[in-house]
Amino acid sequence: MEVVNARYLQDETMNAIIKTDNVYYEYMAQNEGENAVQAVKGISLSIRQGQFVVVLGRNGSGKSTLARLFNGLLIPVKGTVIIDGIDTSNNELIWEVRRTLGLVFQNPDNQIVATTVEEDVAFGPENLGISPAEIRKRVDESLMMVGMEEYSGYSPHMLSGGQKQRIAIAGILAMEPKCIVLDEATSMLDPRGRKEVMEILKKLNREKGITIVHITHHMEEAVEADLVMVMENGRLILTGTPRQIFENVEQIREAGLNVPQVTALAYDLRKNGVRMDKLPLNTNEMVDILKSLIKRKNGNNSDLAWSRVLKEFKPENPIIKIRDLSHVYMPGTTFEQKALYDINLTVNQGEILGIIGQTGSGKSTLVQHLNGILKATSGSIEVDGLKAEGNGLKELRQKVGLIFQYPEHQLFEETVYKDIIFGLTKLGLDEEEIKKRVFHVIDILGISPELLDKSPFELSGGQKRRVAIAGVLVMKPKVLVLDEPTAGLDPQGSSEVFKLLSRLNREEGTTIIIISHNMEEVAALCHRVAVMNKGRLVFCDTVANVFSRYEELKKYNLDIPKITELFRELHNSGYDVPQNVLTVDEAKEFIMNMIIPGRGVRHNDK
Amino acid sequence: MINNITLGQYIPGNSILHRLDPRTKIFWTLLLMTATFLIESWYEYLMMGLFTLMLLLISEVPLKQSLKGVKPLLFILILTAILNIFFTGGTPIFTIGPVKVTYEGVSAAIKLFLRLVMLVITASLVTITTTPMTMTDGIEKLLKPFEKIGVPAHEIAMMMSIALRFIPTLLDETTRIMKAQASRGANFDTGSIFSRIKSFIPVLVPLFVSAFKRADELAEAMESRCYRGGKGRTRLKEIHYSKLDFSVSLAGIVLLGVVFSGRILP
Repeated sequence: MEVVNARYLQDETMNAIIKTDNVYYEYMAQNEGENAVQAVKGISLSIRQGQFVVVLGRNGSGKSTLARLFNGLLIPVKGTVIIDGIDTSNNELIWEVRRTLGLVFQNPDNQIVATTVEEDVAFGPENLGISPAEIRKRVDESLMMVGMEEYSGYSPHMLSGGQKQRIAIAGILAMEPKCIVLDEATSMLDPRGRKEVMEILKKLNREKGITIVHITHHMEEAVEADLVMVMENGRLILTGTPRQIFENVEQIREAGLNVPQVTALAYDLRKNGVRMDKLPLNTNEMVDILKSLIKRKNGNNSDLAWSRVLKEFKPENPIIKIRDLSHVYMPGTTFEQKALYDINLTVNQGEILGIIGQTGSGKSTLVQHLNGILKATSGSIEVDGLKAEGNGLKELRQKVGLIFQYPEHQLFEETVYKDIIFGLTKLGLDEEEIKKRVFHVIDILGISPELLDKSPFELSGGQKRRVAIAGVLVMKPKVLVLDEPTAGLDPQGSSEVFKLLSRLNREEGTTIIIISHNMEEVAALCHRVAVMNKGRLVFCDTVANVFSRYEELKKYNLDIPKITELFRELHNSGYDVPQNVLTVDEAKEFIMNMIIPGRGVRHNDK
Repeated sequence: MINNITLGQYIPGNSILHRLDPRTKIFWTLLLMTATFLIESWYEYLMMGLFTLMLLLISEVPLKQSLKGVKPLLFILILTAILNIFFTGGTPIFTIGPVKVTYEGVSAAIKLFLRLVMLVITASLVTITTTPMTMTDGIEKLLKPFEKIGVPAHEIAMMMSIALRFIPTLLDETTRIMKAQASRGANFDTGSIFSRIKSFIPVLVPLFVSAFKRADELAEAMESRCYRGGKGRTRLKEIHYSKLDFSVSLAGIVLLGVVFSGRILP
């Protein structure tokens, strides 16, 4: 890191692959009488050939617009963008710009043009008029670089999201670019897909010297970059090495972003008077810092368990009983696929249950049985005394609200109000009651009443998602099931969704079942966690117990929260700490009690 | 739900049919279609049938796969054949009430049935032995001469291949939206025809919105990968009209000529 730091301080303007000078961009107003929307306001930056740059910023901060300005899909209204010496506003050289700087987009599906993998990778070189023999060579090499050579004849819809993004990267590589810009290309991927893509990017940067500009709101992805830029409201508010950037914890939080969990913990400790020269960026650095602050284990193995008063949940009466549930997709055809094997699970009234597991482990299939959208091939499901079959389905769907991934894609009515009451109108309630329910729900979800008369398609991404959730909540479900409710949202959007879920659980007593790939979120929100692997429920226990089974989770390709990982590392290096600490707050409290008096703590604070 | 549509999907192979230029195959399909509409006598049906069988054999595609295309159409085929039995005049075999079943009717029904089956098999043989990409390339090349009179050959081909690319994606999406709306209380299965059609609005609106969004994003992705129409564009796999193609096409014309020469010449 220090070496990189020094490199960065060299003359920045030399070898700039991307250079912008006071760039402005505005989108035309959507309706008459409205002002044009300024998406990028006066950005000047310079990125050198070979750098790995991460651009952070919440949804709507202008980072996608910036990416489009980089390769001339958009031309600045003011200022200049120079790519490898070429001004993007020069119409004659625009194809040279796009060849030099390739763009990978957010949605893996919407950037694949051809019906087979190799034809798609060939699309760019074909447009450049390169000879078939040379295209063949480039396609093979590019697929090799992203590790997808075995899939060259596949149809794109057979691939996972991560594989599709690797194909998109190969498609850019085949044009032999100097720079690849990724516009939130990992935001729709699961952790495994994200890892695959990140590894390829690092490899391309290291081995081929390709400049990478990675736009994201996953903070962990920024830690290893050469240079980090933070955008807020169309402006570049911070630029520097990850270490310099993540020192500005408050400013980053104000921009709707977050810092890695270990950094957040260190920051909290520092605020509490613990002396720390620099904030750590990863678990190892934090372990080193803590080693100098706390006591070693004194011989007898006490194996502390962190008592969790607030989060302890006493199971009372079960609301969902799943017995020996199995599901087979398309039985009797060549596409037959067994998705669930003998699932037994009981969910208690008023609890929050997390379901974790890799993509394809059967999580979504399982929850779609809870409201009868899928029918059990064998076994039974009972919700609040109601069997999931036959005539009970209509009542069941009222009791169990199921919210799919990206629920905003189901909005269709002319106004937000009409969309929210879509399900309610089928219950035969009077208008007064309907209105009452809508206003109650929008209050919980923080949807402002002025939005009710707007078209749902005019709203921002986060607002749309809340409206879609509202449409389910007005049915007053006893059980709310959510399939990755924070997918694609930025850190602030995610934390808002989680706050309202925990409020719903606390105030309305709603039982919540949540599928998530984000272990930090699961740890902070859930009482119990069910772990799935290859169609089987492998275990289900309290959240603290689940995350202390590190070895097993690893076997199923699942992570543990970064904070839990930190405490595990400390425990393994012989420190007397529990292995089941789950959140930054718990960790802070625990460490503050363990700090050796007089060490590292500034006394003048007391 | 609706994902298992496999009608005439490409099956990889290396038979002569697989190797032929798509243009040759399209030309042959047109020839064979003309022929199936011209044949009359049982002798001609037999020859045509044998010929179709021969094509099936040289395609090296398992018989079960190539007949798959016929299966979904079987109901319609049989229905049209049956209608023919009852509505053709001639020598009666037997009568049921007011309905007369005639020799001519039965033979017309059988012939029609055979004709349609042969048509479907020939057509699906083309799609089974040709990748969608090659097919659209072939169509583009065939339409090329008409560009001068304003036929957008490249654009038509590009649109076809994008449509093919997105069919599975949109089918998946339809299933997903239907599930989501059903979870919100939508009902697709009961009620009058009118209310059932109406119940699809919550599916169609989001589907269209997303299709337009996809189109937008795809256009952006294509543009950023230097797409600027068909001009100056090369292909990874260029299609070549080889000597084999030429001889096969010529053979087709000769064959058709011989079969029907008796009719054309006095």
